Amino acid sequence: MVPVVYRPEYLRYDFGPQHPFSPRRLEMLVELLELLDPEFAPVAPPQAAREEVLGVHAERYVRRVEAASRGETGADLAEYGLGTSDTPVFAGMDEAARWLAGGTAHAARMVARGEARRVLQLGGGLHHAQFDRASGFCVYNDLALALRVFLEEGLRVLYVDVDVHHGDGVQWLFYRDPRVLTLSLHESGRYLYPGTGGVFEIGQGEGTGYSWNGPLEPFTEDASYLATFERLFDKALAWFLPDVILVQAGADAHYLDPLADLLLTTRAYERVFARLLEGAERYTAGRIVFTLGGGYSFDAAVRVWTLLYFALQGRAAPERLPEDWRRRWEDRLGVRLGPSLRDEEGPPEVPRRGEIERYNEGNALRLLDTVKKYLMKG
Amino acid sequence: MLVRDVMHAPVVTIDAGATLEEANALMWEQGIRHLPVVENGRVVGILTDRDVRLATSELSPMPYKPHTRVEEVMTTPVLTADPMDPVEEAARVMRDRKIGSLPVLDGRELVGIITGIDLLDALVALTGARLPSGRVEVRLPDRPGKLARLAQFFAERGINIHSLLTYPDEAGYVRNVLRVGSLETRKLAEELREAGFEVLWPPEKPWSR
Repeated sequence: MVPVVYRPEYLRYDFGPQHPFSPRRLEMLVELLELLDPEFAPVAPPQAAREEVLGVHAERYVRRVEAASRGETGADLAEYGLGTSDTPVFAGMDEAARWLAGGTAHAARMVARGEARRVLQLGGGLHHAQFDRASGFCVYNDLALALRVFLEEGLRVLYVDVDVHHGDGVQWLFYRDPRVLTLSLHESGRYLYPGTGGVFEIGQGEGTGYSWNGPLEPFTEDASYLATFERLFDKALAWFLPDVILVQAGADAHYLDPLADLLLTTRAYERVFARLLEGAERYTAGRIVFTLGGGYSFDAAVRVWTLLYFALQGRAAPERLPEDWRRRWEDRLGVRLGPSLRDEEGPPEVPRRGEIERYNEGNALRLLDTVKKYLMKG
Repeated sequence: MLVRDVMHAPVVTIDAGATLEEANALMWEQGIRHLPVVENGRVVGILTDRDVRLATSELSPMPYKPHTRVEEVMTTPVLTADPMDPVEEAARVMRDRKIGSLPVLDGRELVGIITGIDLLDALVALTGARLPSGRVEVRLPDRPGKLARLAQFFAERGINIHSLLTYPDEAGYVRNVLRVGSLETRKLAEELREAGFEVLWPPEKPWSR
């Protein structure tokens, strides 16, 4: 069994009933995995300590989160990205964010210590959180905590971010660090939050060449996404030779997602997951950690992450979803849920397909041409 | 945005009596392309790397020698900017006259220089995402109060507008590109449409669920 890290306290990371980053998604997913796999038995991770969070975030920021968490509202919260429409404050916010961060750090520790090769953290992936600022639903950057764990063990890390939004928080936190290569594929910042993630954001100082961004045109479909992903991921492995891979597996590039504009189906996700696992087998002795991330379609996100679970376990995923589970959640959420795990339908026709594919390919080639000399200097 | 907001200072200058060789060395050392020329503390001209190269080129019909004095080759009088000039005014002068920089003078004192690169920085600042933000594009009738209504929409929701770029569209309309402090731009777009605005981005996505 490939270990899964999860505990019910993750569900406390909750911005309220109207907010898209809903803990119901996780609740649905865990229930579904329990039904589909009788052996599903997650490891309960410890909470991240304040000290561990301070390894990534400014203390003045952490103090604001703690105060907001206790219900104290200071005038300067908005300067720290807190109390905004994206990242409102809620009671127990600091503790909830530390549960998620603790889980991702624990997953990294399990792999760094050789207790496991593959680990799935069923939560986290809060890639927008910055050094001194909450952003885009993200309070503490659990991924950065995990990266610190790997770096302390002397491991060089390939960070792969397939969330539809640019992984800006992780990128900026390691922008000058050549021990972490960040690779983010996302809808172009010209159209989508947070606005960054251009081809020429390649790192600074010692870290120049170690930040890779594949911005994709709105309405990019499976074929162009996979071509870009494979081109960049394969080169990142071959040129960087990482010791371990950390993946933020956001599911919001799916065509049903309500927040973004890419048009992936579950077929593309299955290919991406398989490719990541093959890459780990070939280059990192199988060492790879996955987290969840964005994914705001209850229907699509839960199915994508279930496919991820089965891919990690190396087992065939079932075709049909349990009817009683599906009906119960349809009633509870008031949304339609597909009857099968894989997409039965697909996105609508895209009129600009040729232009989109050409632009995506051109960007990937420009990126590789730009960063090559920094990685190949030895 | 004024010239003083985007100019840079202090300015590297050269004396009118210095030689082209010295001016060339100074520009190489400093990695710059424009040298205001001063005499008795006053700006009397400007010399660019291109001026030096063209003046000394073997291909020139009457090449100048390296020890030629700067004042023989410099452009004079020189066009200047005031720190209080609007950036767009400086940009227009530079565009119309096809020049790469303007020394910035406060009275007679040289206080800075503005170059094409500074204008590109200004463009990046005006259009760019300095803070994490989402993009919303709205087409408004070019009439009083329309933009105010749009701003009011965001104000009511407590959503900050980080930047706003407006430019003319077809007759009678203005395009407005906003960068706003929210990831949920599609929800905002839906609400904007319900409120009667013509939203160009993000587009509707009827198939999402």
